[in-house]
Amino acid sequence: MMLARLLNIVALLVMPFVLIGVINRVKSLWSGRKGPPILQSAYDVARLLRKSPVYSTTTTPLFRIAPYVFLVTAVGTSAVVPLLGSAPLFAFPFDFVWLAYAWGLGRVAIMLAALDTGSPFEGMGASREATFATLIEPALFLVAGSLCLLTGTHTLHEALVPHINSAAEIVAWAASIVALLIVLQVETARMPIDDPTTHLELTMIHEAMVLDHSGPDLAAIQVGTAIKFFAGASFVATLMNPWAGSNTLRCAVMNLALCILIAVAIGSIESLIARFKLRSVPQYIVVALSSGVVALLATTWRIDGGP
Amino acid sequence: MLLVGALLALALRSNRASAAAAITSQAVATVLMLGTVVPILGGGTPFEVTWEWPRPVESMAFRVDALGAFFLVWSLPMTLLGTLYAVGYLQPYFARGRHGGPHFALLNMVSASFVLIYSVQNALAFLLGWEIAAVAAWLLVIWDYRNQKIRFAGFNYLVSTHVGLFVLVAAFMLLHSKTDSMDFRAFGNFLEKPSRARGTIFILLGVAFALKSAFFPFHTWLPRAHAAAPAEVSALMSGVIHKAGLFAFLRFTLLMGRPDEWMGWTVLAFGALSAFFGVLYTSTQRDLKRLLGYSSTENVGIAAMGFGVGYLGWTWGIPALAVGGFAGGLLHLLNHAFFKCLLFYAAGSVYHATHTVDIERLGGLAKRLPYTANLFLLGGLAIAGLPPLNGFISEFVIYSGLLSGRAPTSQSNVALVAAAVALAFVGAVSALSMTRAFGHTFLGTARDASVHDGDEAPTSMLIPMLLHGLGVVILGLAPELGIALISAALKLFPFAPATIDILTPLTPIVWASRLLAGVLLVAGILAWQRGKRARQSVTWGCGYTAATPRVQYTGSSFTEPFARIFEAFLPSVRRERLPEGVFPQAESHLSTHHVDPVERRIFEVLGQGEDLVVQASERIPEQPHFAFAAGLIVLIVIGVLVSGGVSP
Repeated sequence: MMLARLLNIVALLVMPFVLIGVINRVKSLWSGRKGPPILQSAYDVARLLRKSPVYSTTTTPLFRIAPYVFLVTAVGTSAVVPLLGSAPLFAFPFDFVWLAYAWGLGRVAIMLAALDTGSPFEGMGASREATFATLIEPALFLVAGSLCLLTGTHTLHEALVPHINSAAEIVAWAASIVALLIVLQVETARMPIDDPTTHLELTMIHEAMVLDHSGPDLAAIQVGTAIKFFAGASFVATLMNPWAGSNTLRCAVMNLALCILIAVAIGSIESLIARFKLRSVPQYIVVALSSGVVALLATTWRIDGGP
Repeated sequence: MLLVGALLALALRSNRASAAAAITSQAVATVLMLGTVVPILGGGTPFEVTWEWPRPVESMAFRVDALGAFFLVWSLPMTLLGTLYAVGYLQPYFARGRHGGPHFALLNMVSASFVLIYSVQNALAFLLGWEIAAVAAWLLVIWDYRNQKIRFAGFNYLVSTHVGLFVLVAAFMLLHSKTDSMDFRAFGNFLEKPSRARGTIFILLGVAFALKSAFFPFHTWLPRAHAAAPAEVSALMSGVIHKAGLFAFLRFTLLMGRPDEWMGWTVLAFGALSAFFGVLYTSTQRDLKRLLGYSSTENVGIAAMGFGVGYLGWTWGIPALAVGGFAGGLLHLLNHAFFKCLLFYAAGSVYHATHTVDIERLGGLAKRLPYTANLFLLGGLAIAGLPPLNGFISEFVIYSGLLSGRAPTSQSNVALVAAAVALAFVGAVSALSMTRAFGHTFLGTARDASVHDGDEAPTSMLIPMLLHGLGVVILGLAPELGIALISAALKLFPFAPATIDILTPLTPIVWASRLLAGVLLVAGILAWQRGKRARQSVTWGCGYTAATPRVQYTGSSFTEPFARIFEAFLPSVRRERLPEGVFPQAESHLSTHHVDPVERRIFEVLGQGEDLVVQASERIPEQPHFAFAAGLIVLIVIGVLVSGGVSP
């Protein structure tokens, strides 16, 4: 048990950087470049930590606190996520409600910091982030609710253990994976919703909000986003992991391998398709919502003794 | 005691003396009330008095049970704090020679009406208390009666509340005709038995109480009244007075006994609808107090969702579900009273300093009003249900009911999960609205140079705000206190097991919240301290150095993407003249304004109702199908009414 916890913590410290590195490496390979080292984002964070921040004269203390609120909520929520496919650091009934709302707190902190600068770009980013969040949150609850009904459990790590014995369960399972992948893309600001490498402020969402952050504050936001990516990828990985729920080494290794696979997939998607027009992003999120609805409806089918 | 205070406040010439009279009398009444009520909440026997009155009242029983005690224990102190707030808030009016006596007297009357409503066992006396609260609130709203808009808002409220009163009187008359008594116990004996009138009475009472608590679609009077009233009146109306509607709903739930299944679904759906539309309307408001008014509609909706779960759990005979639902609802009421009053007080402090509450004209107030800004942020985070504050705890309890998967059929389980999804949406939109409200009012730089340049609120306004803020934090980190207040009330429900254990399932989440709060506090202090020594520069403007406050994002632009997605529910009125050609010569402008669709529809029908009926009647001779349909509908309505009246 102690060992599992230790492994969880080690994974939480290392994997976020690895996953970001994998995405960047995949993107470089697709575009015919050699690409930066896998741990480049960790070096970036170390470099940012040595710098001293600069604050806008318009800002209030809120601006200085917000990045750490974001980081703390990212770490705090990943404690209930089955990072290694089985028991997380902490688990309690309805811990996914905690996860969703603590993510919400981190998001609100970043949005307020963005508005604090008085910059039109950052206001724009905050506005988009808030809008998409209102659509993503129901999708998350649709999936969590249907998985809970399907498995008869109330904690995230138990609900994510795959049950694929009947047609209805397979439908619900596949729909949940689709929905969670879209949630992952939106929450961590990846293509095709948001382009993390764009240079044009008008097209940014997440990046626009952090234009004025610098030094350790920026590092906190980057680490927080990377951790959120790892947590989101772990949802999907656990759902796909055949040994999920068993407290074994092969389950943990499988989960991490699946996470890396998801990072490869996300990197490939980013290389192969362009970012959507902002007006069509809500339609893409509606795909997640409808997958969630399909999963929820499939649960009635199963419990009533369907095929 | 309260009446004496009211008389004194009226009689005394000087404002200071009448304020002192009102505050002292309320304080004494509060202490007396606490002395009676606290033992009841601790599980003691209810306090009972019976007065013999001549007809038509006959014997009038007062009985403070745990439910009434729960409502009394926070209503009176909060009214007291509101009165204290009024002393500071109305200072500018007093300085111009306005006499505040009637205002303080009315606040006392509001307090007195609580004592009456929350304790009587007689329908006539209940109506009396109900009317005192309604009329006192109306007179409080039109404090600034010289302004025509405010008189209109007050009149709008007065009419709406009396429409509700008619429905309530209808329900009571129906009950009186069946029981030949005005006593609640006789009502209860009748309502417990299944009968056809039971459903009718449930719906009539539901409508009356929904109008009082401003549920969608009966909310139209609320944003107007809240925007027009002085801040302390808005706060008390939204946070405290309107809870009387939900109290009455619970009182009759207790009298009615085990509900039918459709009642539970109705309450749940009604609550979800109210929360959904209430929160949608908050997202587009320009007026800070209107925004908070709509947010009341949202929050009573959330509480009603909890009660709906409780109803269903009761019907199905699942105590855990029933206790969870009612506990979540009651807890949310208490929490809402704390953070909504706080937010209205903070909005009042903004008005005090700037003479406006228009989000589009404000900005950068955090530097001038640091206390107000921090307290508003606290209330905003709590109302959005974010951890580690109190709103999160009550929403978590409601979620744990909705997502428990304990319902007997899988269809009802799916319906409950769907309600949880609606609640998740409501939470996210609420976070959007509060970010928008706080971000544009307090952050950035001032958007309009013509706005009055005032200072932080006086102490008498800050003390009530601080106390409410403290309540928000304490109820978030130590929900044991809130649960201790409601557990006696929960034991009144017949389904309740001997020992109610709401706390054990909450323990992990409470510790998670405490841990989060602790870490956030430490991280915040460290970041703040380090930031003091940091270098400063201007906000990055993409290389453009002459940016003015006008380039900032405004409240309307912030919600534009959201409002476009929900265009169907958020109709906007656009007035625009856009620039044309490569070198536009003419001046151009654009203004958007979001109106309340329900209210617009009501005014349409009121204004052109005659025309609509005339048009319809003209079509009848031409179209026999139409006439047939109209006749059928009339027949059905008459049939329903007759069968409802004739039935035993």
